[in-house]
Amino acid sequence: MALPARAISFKPYNLAVTTRTLPSGVPIAPGISLYAKGYGVDHGHGHGHGAARSDVPPSWTSGVRLGGSNFESKTPLLTIPPFLMGESSCTAPVSRSVHTSSQVPAPSPSPYAVPDWSHYKTENPSMNRAFSYFMVGSMGLLGASAAKATITDFLATMAASADVLALAKVEVSMSAIPLAKNVIIKWRGKPVFVRHRTEDEIKEARSVNIKTLRDPQTDEDRVKRPEWLVMLGVCTHLGCVPIGESGDYGGWFCPCHGSHYDISGRARKGPAPLNLEVPPYDFNDAEEKIIIG
Amino acid sequence: MFSRLSSRSLGASARYGSSPAGRVVAVRSVQLDAEKTSLSQARFASSKASTRASLSNNALPITFALISAGSIAWYTHLYGSIPFLPEASANTPAEDGLHPTHYPWSHSGILDTFDHSSIRRGYQVYREVCAACHSLDRIAWRNLVGVSHTADEVKEMAGEVEYEDGPDDAGEMFQRPGKLSDYMPRPYPNEEAARAGNAGALPPDLSLIIKARHGGCDYVFSLLTGYVDPPAGVEIREGMNYNPYFPGGAISMARLLFDGLVEYPDGTPATTSQMAKDVVTFLNWAAEPEHDSRKRIGMQACIILSALTAISLYVKRFKWAPIKSRKLLYTPPK
Amino acid sequence: MALTDTLYNALFRRNSIFVSSIFVGAFGFGLAFDTATNRFWDNWNKGKQWKDIRDKYVTPAGADEE
Repeated sequence: MALPARAISFKPYNLAVTTRTLPSGVPIAPGISLYAKGYGVDHGHGHGHGAARSDVPPSWTSGVRLGGSNFESKTPLLTIPPFLMGESSCTAPVSRSVHTSSQVPAPSPSPYAVPDWSHYKTENPSMNRAFSYFMVGSMGLLGASAAKATITDFLATMAASADVLALAKVEVSMSAIPLAKNVIIKWRGKPVFVRHRTEDEIKEARSVNIKTLRDPQTDEDRVKRPEWLVMLGVCTHLGCVPIGESGDYGGWFCPCHGSHYDISGRARKGPAPLNLEVPPYDFNDAEEKIIIG
Repeated sequence: MFSRLSSRSLGASARYGSSPAGRVVAVRSVQLDAEKTSLSQARFASSKASTRASLSNNALPITFALISAGSIAWYTHLYGSIPFLPEASANTPAEDGLHPTHYPWSHSGILDTFDHSSIRRGYQVYREVCAACHSLDRIAWRNLVGVSHTADEVKEMAGEVEYEDGPDDAGEMFQRPGKLSDYMPRPYPNEEAARAGNAGALPPDLSLIIKARHGGCDYVFSLLTGYVDPPAGVEIREGMNYNPYFPGGAISMARLLFDGLVEYPDGTPATTSQMAKDVVTFLNWAAEPEHDSRKRIGMQACIILSALTAISLYVKRFKWAPIKSRKLLYTPPK
Repeated sequence: MALTDTLYNALFRRNSIFVSSIFVGAFGFGLAFDTATNRFWDNWNKGKQWKDIRDKYVTPAGADEE
């Protein structure tokens, strides 16, 4: 061994090649690096085995360097003593990495000895435990977060698209509807009744005893502002469009099957089971508009 | 020599032998290499007679190799390209058009959004220049809201355009001012009218033009700014214009962008290239309105997914380490 | 390590608490992550996005809610 003069004592550590045989009969030796060359160094003259001593590993098979606080020696190639492997295989290259920081015992008499791994054992098991749980928990947390975002996005595709939403709002100018007048506008393909009610009509709508109604609902529940009644002009019976300012109750009358609605759009007579539906709407006072949708 | 060669091949083949199958291969190739080495040793040990013998033995394959190499060389000489490579093109470079330079767009980077001031200026250029001939069918007025204009501005712009709507109660169609939900008005009612107004050439719809043209932004920018006089020997028909970036060189659209053509309200000097850059940015937005949020979500997804990958690798090791490093002990009964 | 033991006893010891804290944490993390990445995004693209140039164009009356 061509080590420096200050070299630490270096003891090669030997392990036997673990050879096993595949079902096909081909022998394999897992874990062996076969990079290294055999001892027999020739001189490039092509005359067979070189002059290197066969009983000493050549200098290139190991290297010692000062790493950090101690010497490290990496030895890719070590001998298998002939008494272990038999004479014929004494030049078989075997790779083991040996460094002085791992407290490998001195050459063991038994090739099956297990190294002392105790220095891998943690000194702080509670830290390790908390860290492992933390990592597992973090994975769950990130995964749950990603899954939530994905599901949200999928659900968002069920919502109305932007072009539908753009058509979904209709603006009605309040100043264009005089008192006691109906206006019918188209909204999402359906007629919407907008009535500018008079004081008398409001009084009438609010004087009804809702206990007598088929679909009990107060007028206050049906309007946002008493003078503006906004509702879908679709008869709740079979979907006809009722006629305004007619019927027995001064409201709407459906010509198809004779349902009568009062001035609050509530079903009072005939086959209609429910009051006329109220769509979502809002007031824009700055521009004097009702925004339906 | 034998030992060195064989052990080197051992190393080379064993390097790839991570699976058992790989190791089998390694072992086999070792044997083969060993045989070869001994063969070559034997050859060199004898004289050159064996070399000559191998030449005459391999005369047929050597001849075929020479013939094929020669025909490939001849073909290459005749047609200027190596055969078997898919380069069959009947076009001359002029017919393919000049390759556009890559320009550093403000939105080129993977984290870069559009420059929305540029989109706003580009819309102005489109409206004042391009919209005379080119439609923008897939963009509605509402798309501009929150991108380059406020809702009030867009409502006002849309209101200046008359749209046909209806039918009303009497069954008649009627004209009404535009709303946010209306799409950009088109300059020609149909393709025939567009062709008739442009000497037979159809001005393409610009909604997806950046995606639809090879080279994208760079191509459109180069086209808009690339008008030059035709070089000597190139004949351009009456009514056509020469543009080296346009495949074929002759384009029906004349150069339209000249310095100072529009006046930007924000004071940006309206040079030809500035206008071209702005309108290309606008058209790129029109082709990819989702661009900004796409890149932002992509960034977020990359962060989350790479973190998840790293953690799941750790967890995999954590779960498998005791399984892989366990030691099974058998204590034989005494 | 007192801290790690505290953490273990508080969150990890009981699986129900572990799992539920993961789900609660996922919501919190989602919010925090979105805030952080969006802030980075706005910082990276300063002056380019609509929200940066919007102030120049809104009318002082400010009747738009879009």
